[in-house]
Amino acid sequence: MEGSSSAIGRDGPAPAARNRMLRRAAIAVLLAVALVLPQLTANQFYIHLANLMLLNSIFAVSLGLIAAVGQISLGHAAFIAAGAYVSALAALTFKIPPILGIVLAGFTTGLAAALLGKILLRLRGVYFVLVTFLAGQVFTLIALNWESVTHGANGLLGIPAISLFGFPLSTRLRFYYFALAAFIIVLTFVWALMRSQYGRAFRSIAENVRLAESSGIDVSHYQVIAFALGSGIAGAAGATMVHYIRFLSPDSFTFNDSIAYITMLVVGGRQTMLGGVLGALFLTPLPELLRGLVGAQHIVYGAILLAVLLFLPNGLVSIGRSLFRKTSGAEAPK
Amino acid sequence: MRGFLKVALLSSVFAVSSYAAEAETLKLGVLATLSGAGTAWGIAMQGAAELAAEDVNSKGGLEVGGKKYQVEVIAYDDHYKAADALTAFNRLVFDDGVKYVVGPLGSAPALALLPVSTENKVITMTMAFTPKALSAEYKYSLRPVIPSDVFSDPQIKWVVQKLGAKRVGGLFPNDESGQQVGAANEAAYQAVGAKFVAKEFFERERVDFVPLLTRVLAQNIDAFELDGNSPQTAGLLVKQLRELGFKGPIIRTGGDATADLLKIAGKEATENVYVHQPINSELASIQEYTKRFETKYKVPLNAFSPFFYANVQMLFAGMQKAGTVTDVDKVREAVLGLKDFDTVLGKVNWIGQAQWKSNQQLDAPFYVALLKGGEAHVVAKCTPAVCE
Amino acid sequence: MDYSILLAQAALNGLVIGAMYMLMAVGFTLVFGIMRVVNFAHGEFYMLGAFTAFFTYVYWEMPFVVCLVIAAVTVGILGMLIERTLIQPFRSDEMSGMIATLAISVIIQNGAVLLWGPSPRAMPDIVTGTLAIGPFSFPWSRLVVIVAAALIFVAFWLFMQRTRLGRAMRAVAQDTETALLQGIRVNYIYPLAFGLSVALAALAGALMGPVFSVSPFVGLTPMLKAFVVVILGGLGSVPGAVVGGLLLGMIESFTATIFGSLVSDVLQLLLVILILLVRPAGLLGQREA
Repeated sequence: MEGSSSAIGRDGPAPAARNRMLRRAAIAVLLAVALVLPQLTANQFYIHLANLMLLNSIFAVSLGLIAAVGQISLGHAAFIAAGAYVSALAALTFKIPPILGIVLAGFTTGLAAALLGKILLRLRGVYFVLVTFLAGQVFTLIALNWESVTHGANGLLGIPAISLFGFPLSTRLRFYYFALAAFIIVLTFVWALMRSQYGRAFRSIAENVRLAESSGIDVSHYQVIAFALGSGIAGAAGATMVHYIRFLSPDSFTFNDSIAYITMLVVGGRQTMLGGVLGALFLTPLPELLRGLVGAQHIVYGAILLAVLLFLPNGLVSIGRSLFRKTSGAEAPK
Repeated sequence: MRGFLKVALLSSVFAVSSYAAEAETLKLGVLATLSGAGTAWGIAMQGAAELAAEDVNSKGGLEVGGKKYQVEVIAYDDHYKAADALTAFNRLVFDDGVKYVVGPLGSAPALALLPVSTENKVITMTMAFTPKALSAEYKYSLRPVIPSDVFSDPQIKWVVQKLGAKRVGGLFPNDESGQQVGAANEAAYQAVGAKFVAKEFFERERVDFVPLLTRVLAQNIDAFELDGNSPQTAGLLVKQLRELGFKGPIIRTGGDATADLLKIAGKEATENVYVHQPINSELASIQEYTKRFETKYKVPLNAFSPFFYANVQMLFAGMQKAGTVTDVDKVREAVLGLKDFDTVLGKVNWIGQAQWKSNQQLDAPFYVALLKGGEAHVVAKCTPAVCE
Repeated sequence: MDYSILLAQAALNGLVIGAMYMLMAVGFTLVFGIMRVVNFAHGEFYMLGAFTAFFTYVYWEMPFVVCLVIAAVTVGILGMLIERTLIQPFRSDEMSGMIATLAISVIIQNGAVLLWGPSPRAMPDIVTGTLAIGPFSFPWSRLVVIVAAALIFVAFWLFMQRTRLGRAMRAVAQDTETALLQGIRVNYIYPLAFGLSVALAALAGALMGPVFSVSPFVGLTPMLKAFVVVILGGLGSVPGAVVGGLLLGMIESFTATIFGSLVSDVLQLLLVILILLVRPAGLLGQREA
């Protein structure tokens, strides 16, 4: 991306090294805060909120992975739900420990996305959006009607909590550290991916599909990979969530949730991975702050989304970046 | 970065403010659907809590164990979603320190909350009809409204005997209440010698029932069952049934829908419709409550409201008997020990030992009414055993 | 009940919903053909049309035809304003435009809930009674919908074919660059086209109000169906929207009557996904250049 690479080229290594150190220091501080903060509050409700924020961040970042190849999926919630159902059913019917169930969920949804992606990703732009929307609807209908497996609208009750070496994550605090670890793992993975050859390929596809094709990049191959990875991570995260909430029904992850994740991604910033995180961190606690305005909540959401699209198209991240650029003084002339 | 700091700042503000308001307040939580579909029920529950609180607050507070408590009602919206209900419940219990909650409303939220409420000893008063909501395992879960498990058998028996219906048809929404109710109805009709010959399910949002009704009518039914459907859907079903030329009796063995039936289907179409009426609108106490509710909230009274009102009154009486508002186990025992308690519904008791191994279900009389000329006329009075 | 009655009922019902789907789809495809915008808020304009008709018919007690006109005009103007302010900035960015319409739909729907409450309102039938032909009985309220929808479409067709404005719109849909060169004021065409599109949706909502009742949530299903029809008939093709709309109405009615509604819903969705994959241009659509 812009930032450091152009700084190395134009202004020399010193500002770049400083940026890197600053960045690493910032990450270390954040990590410390994240580890210690929950110990300081006895209020379980805030810990619950923090858990939701971490999970939503993973959902948004995984959606961002799919957006990285220029495709928007309106069916993300369906993959999350699929992962949740796989793990919940594995635990309830086959007594598979949740930790394995999560891995299983990730693989199954990833595989399903890869297979579906091969067919669906032939479509581009609006057609792809529409087909993911429809696929999501089909999934909800299946979850509702395949009662023998999913218990239909009644849902699955009494889903077990995750257990690490016999130590059950039955409290919010314990789950928080697990979610934090998952969050860090996912972020590191996506960051590494975007820095690799894959990331470069993704970015060129997102910019201009035809150009990427003509320069020899196998567009559909990379798109399928992005779609499979994004959906697989989402499925695993869905499974993680279901072992926390411990109840699952077709209503748990719907089209409205798909819209919410897109909102988080757009509000945070579509261009960077951090955007999804920012969007999730900002939008998850918002309904709690707006509890006084019953009903106006959704309007505020919609208005925020619209405002960001109109006035801050690169999301909240762009505020941080322009500030960062001004303070670090590394002006890359364009 | 920024988002996190913001939240950290706000959380410290919240923490401080919640410590400040302890004094002598008794907090009563309300967890219901206050927006979107289902709001009518949510407001019925919130109204019941607020009116009951008003009753004691206007007398200077609830006197328990020598102290006087002002009752504060804290209401949160759950959007009829299990996950949102869980978050809101977490907030009530951990952030607001509430031990008594009116709600949750739907079966999905109720099931999601049961482990949390049981573990943290929070008494909930739910409207969920699902049989799984009550059990000795979830001992803090009470149900003030009469669910179809309790009222359908005696009502169906009475109706079938009166009408001599042999072939019954019905349409049910494909959600948790619809699926359960469909099965329960089928069994109930079967038990009294009628056959459920046409049972169709549809997606909750559907409004066009003509193809499905055509299918049902093709089975030559004697009567049509409206149970399990939202009041608005029930109204549309009656209207479309009559448009298709069905003149037989229509039965509503389900929650109060009379107002919507009349509004949507009209007076003519609703002739020959038998409804389950949870309350007797001819009782003076009910009329008084209705007037009070409608004046304050400006919406028609939903028949579930008086049940929650009665339950909260019993809660207060139980607290007074137990002499404490903080020892939830003692309060629970005292409340469930109340017999023949006088409320706006008449005398009420607790039942449920037979079905769910624990008496956590409120027992109040209920009625069957016939719609004639746009009005409901009570034709039978019922107990869980029989209607006459 | 014998089969002929069953089939006749299914056919009539298919025509009624087909007519509604057609009106929704024509508007939706018009906007896509001319502006390349997928309007996720289309269903909310249907809902606004239903409410406008409800208020004018029930509270102001105006004759129904007048209510229809008022609904079309008010929602149409609102649509034009929305296009000018909220959608025009996204002309070069399809995806963002689409997300913007998602946001708009959320705002409109929840605004309606805030203003009018979530409970459905019952709207009295425009015409009561049934038409009895032999053993068949068809409610007049449904027959009226078919006739009205047909008339509205004819008016729309004449507008597009015979008036300058209509021809200008078709020119922009075919080739925006050339239309610009020919002196057509594209910046005026866009809001007008959007306004026309949502006016059609509003008319559909107004017509169906008495049949299905009016609430802030009634727009969801018609929008879904509009998607389906437009994909079936081809994104951007008006004849496709007509054929697709009537076809879908019939398919839905017959499959629901014969197999039940759950099977019918899944079948429709699968059909559409199949078409998207096999022939994305739909039955009558243009291949993407």
